[in-house]
Amino acid sequence: MKAKRTYRSKMRILADMMRAIQGEGENGAGPTKILYTANLSHDRLTQYLEELAEKELIILTHAESNNRVYALTEKGREFLKEFVRVERISEAFGIEI
Amino acid sequence: MQEQIVTLIRLDLLFETIGGIIALMVAYYATKAFNLTGQKRLSDLSTGFLVLAAGLFSHVGGTWYFFVRLGVEGELTPDLTRLIVLITVVYHLLRMMAYILFVVSTRRSMPTKQHEMVVLLALPVLIDINLEILTIIILLVVVLQAFMNYAVIRSRYALYVLTGFSMFLLSHLFLILAGDNVGTYLLSQAFQLLGFIAFLVMLYKAGRE
Repeated sequence: MKAKRTYRSKMRILADMMRAIQGEGENGAGPTKILYTANLSHDRLTQYLEELAEKELIILTHAESNNRVYALTEKGREFLKEFVRVERISEAFGIEI
Repeated sequence: MQEQIVTLIRLDLLFETIGGIIALMVAYYATKAFNLTGQKRLSDLSTGFLVLAAGLFSHVGGTWYFFVRLGVEGELTPDLTRLIVLITVVYHLLRMMAYILFVVSTRRSMPTKQHEMVVLLALPVLIDINLEILTIIILLVVVLQAFMNYAVIRSRYALYVLTGFSMFLLSHLFLILAGDNVGTYLLSQAFQLLGFIAFLVMLYKAGRE
């Protein structure tokens, strides 16, 4: 019997990326770290990083060098905090988001 | 004795008012979660708690109105008897609809087609059996789903939800057993309040930890 495959919602993927960045602390995280931690393809990673930056949830530091590093903005930290709360409440009722 | 019963009923209305406010808070957070994620089941959950709050507030308001009119008219007239029956039926129907929405929103599998839910919502009107027993059966399903969810994810937040729904179930069981016993009736109301408090603790802890 085939195992049922569950897909993450876009919101969860964005939150996973932000968690990966937060996990690296104040220094922020590079694309490779985010890619592996959030389990994404390279194309998706680029697309979503742009989206997060556009929404001012993350900021690109060291933009001039080859070693791109992303950090959470204050707005991003607040968003992630709110998402964690929503995630806990939803899961408590058995609702996957 | 009459004075004691009126005091107990006032306490019961206070419990229901607090419960209604907590239900509105859960509905608010469920709506917030729905706006953030677009998950339809969160919207159903929010509607469930809104309907539950509406049921509780209509019962509180209706019962107060009943006592005010009883005070004015001085005796239980046929009009007043009809009024209290209407208040009670509306209260039971709204709570039952809320629990049906909880059944739909909290099950772990994929949601079913829309028309199935409409039929479920119409059940209280279509089936002419004791409303309280039907409510207990529906609530039993909600509690089982909450238990299965807790067994799978083992989070303390899921445990609070399981506790909340279990308290609601106990509340309805005591309500059936109450009969003319005011003490058991109040115990039933206390269990309902404890259920709402479990939801409140869950909301608080989910935001703090």
